Amino acid sequence: MRIVLLGMNHRTAPLDLRERLAVHDPAPVLQKLVACDEIDEAVLISTCNRVEVVVVTRSYDAARLRLRSIFARELASDSIEVSTSELDACLYEHVDGDAMRHVLRVASSLDSMVVGEPQILGQTKDACRVATECGAAGPILGRLFQHAFATAKRVRSETRIAERPVSVARVAVDLARQIFENLADKQALLIGAGEMIELALESLRKHGLESIRVANRTPERAQELAARFGATAHGLDGLTELIAEVDVVLISIGGDDPILTVELLERALASRWGRPLFVIDIGVPRNADPAINKLDPVYLYDIDDLASLARKNADERQREGVLAESIIEEQHQRFEGWLTALRAIPTIKHLRERVESIRVDELERALRRISLDDDQREAVEALTKSIVNKILHAPVSKLRREAEHEEGIVYLEAARALFGLDDETSDEE
Amino acid sequence: MSIHLHQLAAALYLLAGLVAWTGMALRSARLERGSVWLLAGAALAHLGAFATLHSLEPPPPLTDLPAAVSFMACAGTIFFLAMLRRLRLDGLTVLVAPAAFVGAFFAALQLPEAEPAVVAGSGSWPHAHVLLASMGLAFLGVSGMAGMLFLAEHRRIKAKRPIDAGFPLPTLEALDLANRVSLAVGFPLLTLGVIAGMIWVQKSQGVVWSGSVHEIWSVIAWTVYAVLAGARFGASQGSRQAAASAVGGFAFLCFAVIGVGLLT
Repeated sequence: MRIVLLGMNHRTAPLDLRERLAVHDPAPVLQKLVACDEIDEAVLISTCNRVEVVVVTRSYDAARLRLRSIFARELASDSIEVSTSELDACLYEHVDGDAMRHVLRVASSLDSMVVGEPQILGQTKDACRVATECGAAGPILGRLFQHAFATAKRVRSETRIAERPVSVARVAVDLARQIFENLADKQALLIGAGEMIELALESLRKHGLESIRVANRTPERAQELAARFGATAHGLDGLTELIAEVDVVLISIGGDDPILTVELLERALASRWGRPLFVIDIGVPRNADPAINKLDPVYLYDIDDLASLARKNADERQREGVLAESIIEEQHQRFEGWLTALRAIPTIKHLRERVESIRVDELERALRRISLDDDQREAVEALTKSIVNKILHAPVSKLRREAEHEEGIVYLEAARALFGLDDETSDEE
Repeated sequence: MSIHLHQLAAALYLLAGLVAWTGMALRSARLERGSVWLLAGAALAHLGAFATLHSLEPPPPLTDLPAAVSFMACAGTIFFLAMLRRLRLDGLTVLVAPAAFVGAFFAALQLPEAEPAVVAGSGSWPHAHVLLASMGLAFLGVSGMAGMLFLAEHRRIKAKRPIDAGFPLPTLEALDLANRVSLAVGFPLLTLGVIAGMIWVQKSQGVVWSGSVHEIWSVIAWTVYAVLAGARFGASQGSRQAAASAVGGFAFLCFAVIGVGLLT
């Protein structure tokens, strides 16, 4: 029995290929896979950053070929051809220990584009759920994925891998939360428009900020944005009064000269009673004069400042990744132990059956010679069962324990030889 | 018994401080929370120490410096813990716990030998003076500590440095609010303490103003705080200036009340 993983991710395949192979409904593919003789179990993980199939097989070569054909024929949508050479350049394959380790790393977000991002755990859980529901995930992969979820939990709680924000928008929110106690009672002013500034505003809204005002050079654009965010629209002429009232200013508006100057801010600050003002300038060229950061209550961050903090946080996450890798290794060893211990099951089962048949035969022979009423027969039966269980308890426990290690095979062979299990098997055969 | 509880309180304050600093160094939010619980335990032991002291017959007065400083540490800690119910100030434990330790430790060392100066015929005024002034000082101390952390965080955010601690430090807004509330409660208490002190002197010596060094420095410190409170609440002082004023004001107050007491 072997575990094989075949897949591609954001490092090995371009986005357009990942898009072409993305699977929206994995159930039919999984059912087709487990219908093949050589594949016992299968799970398919398909996200925007990866497409991976992991299977349990008794025939490695046949399973490899099957998985490659699944990628070439089943996953690619009918209208778009994916050539073999294109696939070969992007696919990676992991087997047994490497495959298990890879699943643990994926669920723990160590293999993600943004290390430590939380979505991948949910996506992996979904993949496992779908595979279980359609009968494709069995005891081995089911256990592997449960182990992966536990590993991800350990990585998140024992390292700081997910602690620091790594997107510009989240860094802006993080900063706002270092300045303000509660964003829900704060007001934001959006000056201009753009994808980045709207992402930052959206993140702030997710963290409680409700009251928003929008100011723009053109009233129509201001109205449009205001309608989108449930905000009030303003022109740029009353900027001083607007800034005097808000707590967060997000600015990204065209033009070579800064809009937020020291003079304008000084006028606005005069009526703010020293309340802090957080200014996020995402404009290029900058829309806020850097000198406004020298004004006491003003905290100015431009796009470079936010990106620099995001980079530092990403570096910190990478450093935490080293600690996370040691957790992965430890968890991988545990799973390997469990998997190795599975080989003891046939021997233990065989041993129990053998001893039980002896017990039953000998009991019947004895009962034929003596006459006992029902209660006495039950008592003797219970007595023999108890003796057998007590005799078997120590060797069976020892076999289970030792089977978790590679060298434990010696104990299994010894048990089979001592109890004549192989002889019996050959007799039966 | 009282001295043992004082020693226990001092030990718990020290432990709370060590746990808070370790939490900051190891970036552990769990240790940060643990330090707050230890601080609460220390405050309970400290209250127990004063309750035991009060049950003695006759109860020793709190007019000697070690007892007053110890009471100040206890009052400041309880005030800080009360503020924690409304504001996320847990990170301030890194300053409050060591300061409370110094106060309790000072008392634990000196209380048995302290010879309180009881002024005959002055009634409850000595107690009123010590209780009110110590509480005022304690709350202004919390204001100073909030100001200290505010200045550090203000500088860090202005300099665009990533957060140093692994657990969330108090926000600038929370620190400013703590500073404001502490000053709003502490300054009136200090004022009442100064008035109670004057009545005490008047009752015992027949004059309102005896001209002692303690009196002179106390009035100077009160005047300094009156100016600071006026600037904060009357002249719309900004948060950073208010934080700097709180730090400077408390340093001066400590010198004027405790430092001068020790030197003379």
